[in-house]
Amino acid sequence: MYRRFLNARSPLRLLEKGLHGGLGSGNLGLVIAGPGVGKTSFLVGVALDELMRNKPVLHVTLGHNVQHVRDYYNTVFEELAHTTQLDENHVAARAEMDRLRRIRAYPQSSFDAKRLREALALEAELGPRPELVVVDGLDVAQRTAAELEEWASAARDAHAEVWMGASVAGERIASLPAELRPLEGSFSVILALEPGDGSVALRALKDHDSRDVSALHVALDPKTLLLVRS
Amino acid sequence: MINELAKIRNIGISAHIDSGKTTLTERILFYTKRIHKISEVKGKDGAGATMDFMDLERERGITIQSAATHTTWDEHFINIIDTPGHVDFTIEVERALRVLDGAILVLCGVAGVQSQSLTVDRQMRRYKVPRLAFINKLDRSGANPYRVTQQLREKLAHNAVMMQIPIGVEAKHEGVIDLITMEAVTFGGDQGEAIQRGPIPPELQDEAAVARETMLDAVSMYSDELTEAILEERVTEELIHEAVRRGTLSRALTPVFMGSAYKNKGVQLLLDAVIRYLPSPLDVENTAVDLSADEAPIVLPSDPNKPLVALAFKLEEGRYGQLTYTRVYQGTLAKGGNIENSRTNRRHKVGRLVRMHADSMEDIESAGAGDIVALFGIDCASGDTFTDGTIDVAMSSMHVPDPVVSIAIKAKDAKAQDNLAKALGRFVREDPTFRSHVDPESNETVISGMGELHLDVYVERMKREYNVEVQTGAPQVAYRETISQRADYSYVHKKQTGGSGQYAKVAGYIEPLPEGDGRIWEFSNEVRGGAIPTEFMGAVEKGFASALVKGRLIGFPTIGVKVVVNDGQSHAVDSSEMAFISAARGAFRSCYSAARPIILEPVMKLAVEGPAEFQGAALKTIMQRRGTVIGTTEEAGFCRVEAEVPLAEMFGYATDLRSQTQGKAEFTMEFARYLPCPNEVTKELLEKYADRRKDEE
Repeated sequence: MYRRFLNARSPLRLLEKGLHGGLGSGNLGLVIAGPGVGKTSFLVGVALDELMRNKPVLHVTLGHNVQHVRDYYNTVFEELAHTTQLDENHVAARAEMDRLRRIRAYPQSSFDAKRLREALALEAELGPRPELVVVDGLDVAQRTAAELEEWASAARDAHAEVWMGASVAGERIASLPAELRPLEGSFSVILALEPGDGSVALRALKDHDSRDVSALHVALDPKTLLLVRS
Repeated sequence: MINELAKIRNIGISAHIDSGKTTLTERILFYTKRIHKISEVKGKDGAGATMDFMDLERERGITIQSAATHTTWDEHFINIIDTPGHVDFTIEVERALRVLDGAILVLCGVAGVQSQSLTVDRQMRRYKVPRLAFINKLDRSGANPYRVTQQLREKLAHNAVMMQIPIGVEAKHEGVIDLITMEAVTFGGDQGEAIQRGPIPPELQDEAAVARETMLDAVSMYSDELTEAILEERVTEELIHEAVRRGTLSRALTPVFMGSAYKNKGVQLLLDAVIRYLPSPLDVENTAVDLSADEAPIVLPSDPNKPLVALAFKLEEGRYGQLTYTRVYQGTLAKGGNIENSRTNRRHKVGRLVRMHADSMEDIESAGAGDIVALFGIDCASGDTFTDGTIDVAMSSMHVPDPVVSIAIKAKDAKAQDNLAKALGRFVREDPTFRSHVDPESNETVISGMGELHLDVYVERMKREYNVEVQTGAPQVAYRETISQRADYSYVHKKQTGGSGQYAKVAGYIEPLPEGDGRIWEFSNEVRGGAIPTEFMGAVEKGFASALVKGRLIGFPTIGVKVVVNDGQSHAVDSSEMAFISAARGAFRSCYSAARPIILEPVMKLAVEGPAEFQGAALKTIMQRRGTVIGTTEEAGFCRVEAEVPLAEMFGYATDLRSQTQGKAEFTMEFARYLPCPNEVTKELLEKYADRRKDEE
């Protein structure tokens, strides 16, 4: 019950229903937002959605320590368990989440496509192969399109999709900021998070090859970043 | 009393075995005039039998490894605190490290950074201790301080900067070049006591110039003034000292010194550096917890005029009774004054206050904030905090975790029984996480602690310090039982055996306490209208408490239970305390299985560290042990894997990890929490318990 409820309210439904079946294996996805709006929460939410389907996730963090990321998951998880108030054995659900989630921390400068490849290979050797990678803390604007192409190639070889977040200046995002424009082609999906009226607005800036993405927006609960109940 | 706090240095000397810590400590005491003759660690017969600290101390009648030794250098007061190098997280290590303000990291000039250096360094890092490095044994063949400095940078990620370069290494090692004064320093006299400063030999001038430039480059990061001075070519020694000190105190810089303690080279310059660059108590922020405000952290200013706060960090059984090593954090500890133990709330009068020197002790009248002294004849446990009674604070949390592993021990020699009892008595007082009891069923002495290694350390100490060899049984994990759902009970205890009978009835329910509650159990009396007379409620509570001690699944204590009593019945003649105790026990027994009891096992937080190439191997050792990996951190060729692993799977882990990683990875472990056992483990435990019961019958 609990799991299905969580999955049903995941913001990813925006992509699956309105878009073309989600990000898709071998693709890179980007979520952009101003500082503190909730990039990491969004990424953790994407990861939880996968974990609640009993599928492993690789969480790469640059600049944060492992414990910090783990606390983040626990907080979001407890918040969800609390707000959904569904009576499932959540100790067991949390233990399962811990087991399936792999956190890897690196210094910002030392993480690249080669490391991503190594990490995915190592995880595949040790247990079920993660098909979802989330990367938090990456300084996306400092990377080149050629480099991101290598990331995509690593993702394709591992049959995984990779979500990452990028900080932008200011809360309002009219369009893709200039510093990220050269990288637009590297991402299959680009989403923007903006603070709204009692909620957080999630909007698609790019969806694979779609011309018109104007209909793709939803309101999220500011605490959990789940879809607001309609 | 030492009034000038700025002139105190509380330092530790930490080192890998064999890197020369004993020799260096001895030389320091010699040059600071605390001992008057140098004796060698090697035996006089030249056969190379290395004496250990204890033998050396015995022979010389001095203490060079007491918990804290006081000495002076250049009008400064140095307390050298012994830092035990155990790998695990024992409370003892923690306490020794927290009284340090700074440390010297001794490295062998040949072997360089070894695996144990990593451990020691990590501990220092955890306690935010600023460090100097001393590269020792430059007289040995194969010594290379440049390589060792590079290792400090690469393996320990220190911003290590050479403050000196050697004048010759191996057999030609003569002294060092001081890169600040740009002088050659050699050590003459019989025992290196005559320091000679002279011009740099021509053949070393280029090397020295390059090294100085590198040093200035690194050091100027911590001083804008120095940076400007370099550009304007008006660098002074003071500007460099100031920058090095700033970098060292912020733990962003590790200045590197070198020499050979054995050949009496470089030690005095190291002492100068201790005074110049390591922090005084004024430079360090110490925190305590406020016991009157739910253990909220508070900062203690090193002010001798504030109310006293002092930590007893080490107990020593000396010739004259118990010696309590104490660090004063705030206020003043005075002879004849009254102090209060914040754990026991007992008051003591300070009878004797002493300063420990290498060869003697000195009675003193008082000791102020920042100082380290010893108290005589105060009955306390190590880790206790003393105050003047006007404030309610403690230097560390009062919460002591329960032991998670036990082993049965037996003295090999019956005569050693007395000593064993003495040893246990002392260890229990020193370390609140170490316990000892005699099992009433098997009549064996059982010791319990926070891990296999923790207990190993004590077994080793029994042998070393008390001459007691013990046989140890297999380690036992401290399982717990708990219930997972509510169950009602209604139980009548009735016995009619002639004479006055026994009658009692209790009714109510048991349910699990909320997750994370932490309490062992809760008793709730909801009886209305006197169904159970008040005078018997104590007996009811007692009955339930005794039922919890030994769980009904595998005989371990039951925890996390709320017991509610809401009804019952008594008989005017036949009800008694005994009857209600029996009724409560019977009630618990009757509903326990309906409450779906489960077995809990202690889960440890494990951290494995080593070169990144062994990451896969390290991860596998965790997977094989029902472990859950929390995460992996990779940096500069090193990786750290954090995981939670059931304690039951961790016996013998040290050996396995060593063989899987060619001895290059290390681990630390501490208790994390209790978690339910998986089904297959539960089944196995139940079978084992049933077998044991059968054997006993």
